Amino acid sequence: MIQAILVFNNHGKPRLVRFYQRFPEEIQQQIVRETFHLVLKRDDNICNFLEGGSLIGGSDYKLIYRHYATLYFVFCVDSSESELGILDLIQVFVETLDKCFENVCELDLIFHMDKVHYILQEVVMGGMVLETNMNEIVAQIEAQNRLEKSEGGLSAAPARAVSAVKNINLPEMPRSINIGDLNIKVPNLSQLV
Amino acid sequence: MSDIVEKTLTALPGLFLQTPGAGGPAAARAPFSSRLGGLIRGITALTSKHEEEKLIHQELSNLKAAVSAPTTTLKMMKECMVRLIYCEMLGYDASFGYIHAIKLAQQGNLLEKRVGYLAVSLFLHESHELLLLLVNTVVKDLQSTNLVEVCMALTIVSQIFPQEMIPAVLPLIEDKLQHSKEIIRRKAVLALYKFHLIAPNQVQHIHVKFRKALCDRDVGVMAASLHIYHRMIKENSSGYKDLTGSFVTILKQVVGGKLPVDFNYHSVPAPWLQIQLLRILRLLGKDDQRTSELMYDVLDESLRRAELNHNVTYAILFECVHTVYSIYPKSELLEKAAKCIGKFVLSPKINLKYLGLKALTYVIQQDPTLALQHQMTIIECLDHPDPIIKRETLELLYRITNAQNITVIVQKMLEYLHQSKEEYIIVNLVGKIAELAEKYPLFEP
Repeated sequence: MIQAILVFNNHGKPRLVRFYQRFPEEIQQQIVRETFHLVLKRDDNICNFLEGGSLIGGSDYKLIYRHYATLYFVFCVDSSESELGILDLIQVFVETLDKCFENVCELDLIFHMDKVHYILQEVVMGGMVLETNMNEIVAQIEAQNRLEKSEGGLSAAPARAVSAVKNINLPEMPRSINIGDLNIKVPNLSQLV
Repeated sequence: MSDIVEKTLTALPGLFLQTPGAGGPAAARAPFSSRLGGLIRGITALTSKHEEEKLIHQELSNLKAAVSAPTTTLKMMKECMVRLIYCEMLGYDASFGYIHAIKLAQQGNLLEKRVGYLAVSLFLHESHELLLLLVNTVVKDLQSTNLVEVCMALTIVSQIFPQEMIPAVLPLIEDKLQHSKEIIRRKAVLALYKFHLIAPNQVQHIHVKFRKALCDRDVGVMAASLHIYHRMIKENSSGYKDLTGSFVTILKQVVGGKLPVDFNYHSVPAPWLQIQLLRILRLLGKDDQRTSELMYDVLDESLRRAELNHNVTYAILFECVHTVYSIYPKSELLEKAAKCIGKFVLSPKINLKYLGLKALTYVIQQDPTLALQHQMTIIECLDHPDPIIKRETLELLYRITNAQNITVIVQKMLEYLHQSKEEYIIVNLVGKIAELAEKYPLFEP
């Protein structure tokens, strides 16, 4: 079972905090800080598995983390989860974020914190892994987004117009004209009329 | 030309947002969509914790006024709620907002309900008094015809739900087990699993339905039911031995590639599913020869197939090895597993080394010769720069202490103790040294 999922940046600022077990507020903050200190000490070429500190439950719990650019993704799990499996689950989660946000970066996580929570809810529910297939997760999120667009009403009309036009297949204009050939063909003028 | 069209398209939304449209004054509309952005930008511009506290306290008092004002629409409440979530995440108390989160989940349209439920799951906990107010909403949403609402209700049920109210929603969720949509059945299975964890006696009567979920035509539902079975088999393995055949069949099909291509992760078929099944088989086959015999083929097959060089295949191999050593032993399988452990321990990849050492700790009781084979590597690991590997090696050595090597081992442990600064590791290690000292009282550390 997954106890907690934490995402924080290189300075320890929390970007996403989700606990699947009840801890009082101050303990939650302490756990985030402690996890950050534990994880910061690690180089990039050593084990991704850490025994949890004294706060988060003792010897049965492990911290499995991955460092991407400026963010640390930490999953705190108990012994019933496979370590390498969770490592790959973190990868699936990050790839899904990438797909939903188009080249995700830390700013996306900061400014769309609620969307990140919704995506996480499709992957892990109540501490158990619900879905590991990236396409399925994205499909669920798309279904919710579609509802968002349809509920937007008048103020969403420009957004819909934009996406509708974007989806039209405009004919490609030739980017470069090759005049190496001396037999120049007369261009078809009818399409410019 | 196409880049010009692209530029126009991306500029359009900006142009539209700037012009004040119908419905609400422009001053109220435009800033709200970027209030969270404004708050965050404000925080990042500050340099000290003290200033951050001041800013957040001010933001919180603004929010307090906003949420209690009678003129606040639900849409504005939604924006406020996201900011409240952010403040709570940073550690500041926002309990005045809890009741409004519940109201938002009750009264809002779909989007507002989503934010309301999210806020409730992040703010409250199972024994919070306010949670009871949510039960009616959850019941209503479970019966809704809108699939997204049902999904949201099921999600909230498995995140937090008061124990006393389980009987109120139990029949509705059982109903959902037969829903035509796969995602709803899957979420219902996990919600029932949560109930089993907090109140097992109330879900006794639906074990038959769990069996149906196991044989469900959709793989996702079957995978969700495995969580439940893993737990129940852990508590009482003898009651489920008859299911061994089904688990073995499922694993055979997964390994044989019978699942739809969607489930492949880096060309490995459903790795997490395989890992889960292997764990269940491990629990079923422990100390039981007849049941173990059913598994030998499929374990052999898994060991053979997981030959690719990706993290996930190593995960499956590790589980296979662990299972092979836990169930009733079979010599060919043990040999293959020993070879695998060898590969792990000698691997340059550090995660694999760690797992190899871990596997050796399991194996050591049954087959001490394996440790001797890899003696040199183990000794190298003792001086490894990574403290986690060192600790794992010490754990391993602790299990293979005998009268000859105890002095050396305890010496190494003491060295590690001097370097380590984490309290609970020190406590752990001191306990081990004390145990060893008792077992071999004639040797001075």
